[in-house]
Amino acid sequence: MSLRRWWCVLLLALAGCQPSHNPNAITLRIATWGTGEDDSDYAKKCDAIDHEFERENPGVKIVRETIPEQYVQAMVMAHVAGASPDIMMLDASSAAVFMNNGIVTDLAPIIAKDPEFRLDDYFPNVVDIARRGSAVYAIPQDFTPMVMYYNKRLFDRAQVPYPDGSWNFERFRQVARAVTINEGEKNERFGYAFSNWMPGWVMWLWNNGGDVLTEDGTRAAGSLNSPQNAQTFRFLRDLIEVDHVSPSPSMTAAMGVDPFVSGRAAMTISGHWSLIDYKNAPKDRNGQPKLDWRELGVTAVPHNTPLANTVMYESGYAIPTGCRHLDLAWRYVKYMTSRRVQMDYNSSGIAIDARKDVAQARAVDPLERAFLPLVATARAPRGSRVEGYDFVETQGASAMSSVLLNGADPLAALKTAAERIDLEFAKR
Amino acid sequence: MTRLQRRESLLGWAFVGPATAHLALFALFPIAYAAYVSTFKWNIANGHHAFVGGGNYAFSLREQAFWNALWNSFRYTAVGVPLGMALALAVALLVNQRLRGVTIFRTLYYIPAISSGVATAMLWIYVFLPTNGLVNVVLLWLHVNDKTHTTDFINNASTAMWVLVVMSVFTGLGPRMVLYLAGLVGIPGSLYEAASLDGASGWSSFKRITLPMLLPTSLFVLVTSTISAMQLFTPVYMITKGGPDMTTDVVGYHIYTEAWVDFNVGLASAKSFILLVAIAGISIVQFRLVRANLADYSA
Repeated sequence: MSLRRWWCVLLLALAGCQPSHNPNAITLRIATWGTGEDDSDYAKKCDAIDHEFERENPGVKIVRETIPEQYVQAMVMAHVAGASPDIMMLDASSAAVFMNNGIVTDLAPIIAKDPEFRLDDYFPNVVDIARRGSAVYAIPQDFTPMVMYYNKRLFDRAQVPYPDGSWNFERFRQVARAVTINEGEKNERFGYAFSNWMPGWVMWLWNNGGDVLTEDGTRAAGSLNSPQNAQTFRFLRDLIEVDHVSPSPSMTAAMGVDPFVSGRAAMTISGHWSLIDYKNAPKDRNGQPKLDWRELGVTAVPHNTPLANTVMYESGYAIPTGCRHLDLAWRYVKYMTSRRVQMDYNSSGIAIDARKDVAQARAVDPLERAFLPLVATARAPRGSRVEGYDFVETQGASAMSSVLLNGADPLAALKTAAERIDLEFAKR
Repeated sequence: MTRLQRRESLLGWAFVGPATAHLALFALFPIAYAAYVSTFKWNIANGHHAFVGGGNYAFSLREQAFWNALWNSFRYTAVGVPLGMALALAVALLVNQRLRGVTIFRTLYYIPAISSGVATAMLWIYVFLPTNGLVNVVLLWLHVNDKTHTTDFINNASTAMWVLVVMSVFTGLGPRMVLYLAGLVGIPGSLYEAASLDGASGWSSFKRITLPMLLPTSLFVLVTSTISAMQLFTPVYMITKGGPDMTTDVVGYHIYTEAWVDFNVGLASAKSFILLVAIAGISIVQFRLVRANLADYSA
């Protein structure tokens, strides 16, 4: 073969390596967290929704960039490097760093010019998570308040009435005791499954009149180490060590599975996302699920305060300031948060839809309906206002660990945590 | 300069040029730039930066969390390095025997050194899992634990650092063993023969010949292992994330979180230079302590 022929073969081969899609297509990059598993039902649903957008907008190519680890860091670095995606998912728990530092666009002027879009379609306190004055930095997609799940089957067996949400800490303790079954030194069934994950227990502090940070979010001393919080820590510790209504951390670890999902605990606090696990609960020897999700109830977290407080976690669509196709990005955000797309997207059941009409439509299911009354009093996570709030949560969990695992005095543990947080905040 | 000399000079520059350029671009320039950044209060998330001179260094030296990280690194090093060296020497003595198949053992012991640090750390997570982890299963067999109470080594403040130490002892075994093996091979056999003729026991030969003759190797292993231990990062990032209760928040991880979680790159740079000074100080002390004896022994 002559040299010229070799060149022809090489050029043809290279031509074959060219991407097959339209070279003039506009690529819209969408950053999101998640596992990036291509074969999951969720991924297939997202692909189908994106393909529909591409079909409706010829010449547009949607590229989802899933970043399962260090999402916040990756997005900040992309901004610094001038390589931001066109759209990014914004998690309420870590939204402050993006909104406070001009990394995401204020959508209020765009919304004002767009007669097709109505912010009133969404739950107002959910929209407020990404609001700063008149600025709106994200359109919410879905959210969940943290709620108390209870297993009706276990309540029925113990002949204990279902909780109606009007309970205080002491009443909760009594209920938890009543549904706990002790056989000798072994607990056959626990009343409550406590987990040392601060986003899942912060509402206990609020519901006893305590808080984590000062009102302006700049200090922990005077809030986190308050007598009320120490009392709440003691209450939670005693549920494990005195009342034996909740497994200790080492017992939970030994079980190797969430005690609630395995039917070994009657109550737990979690978000809507847990329903996916509950619907796929492990099966017993007879092939029956250890937890039947149809026998689940949802109610407010116990509260010594006049109203039950809880936290809600939310995700929404934001447009980075480095977006290259602003109009198209807004069109995609509108498309994704529209009723027709959300009716399909939200059928996965991972969270409550941020659109009131979709959430109401899904509330034909009694379990779904039980979540809605808890939305109005749900608070935004402090991470949506305070940068680096994950450090606060790490220190909160450390304080709880030192109380539960090392027998530390609650007030001393909280004082240490508050000092560390304030030292960290002092760097800013 | 003659033509030949000029050509040789150019040839010399051609040889060292690429390496020098690489060093300048990827080591010297970043170091110099980090020194520059360390003089600013610089938040990379919002781009705000203000010159503070030595302010970041002063702040770091006053910061309790940084001292805690230095202390954690120091105790990790103080326990992990001697343990690692002792085990490596013991294994090197074993694989230095003239036995059939000993090469297989040498290879097996070296495998962790050429494996990905992330993958190795993931495996060690499984070893220490509270439910079905190898260590807990063994403790169950020995009736130290029962089925309802296992030990969560990774999330317990009193055991988390030991998890890292045990892991580092085993993952660092291969390279240290190879170095000791090279040192052992270099000890003249005549010394052992003379000792044997004088009636020295095996332990006596080890104490009076092997250990002293391995002193240069030991110094090298000590210094490199210490530097590596003081810069520990991957296992902490993968296994403990600095917890529980900041008991494994070592300097390498602390600097990482300062820069890439809190976005304080100025402060993180200053802390990096303090770590550099600390490592240099420890290395100098180690050299000085051993140097007096070093001149007398050489394999």
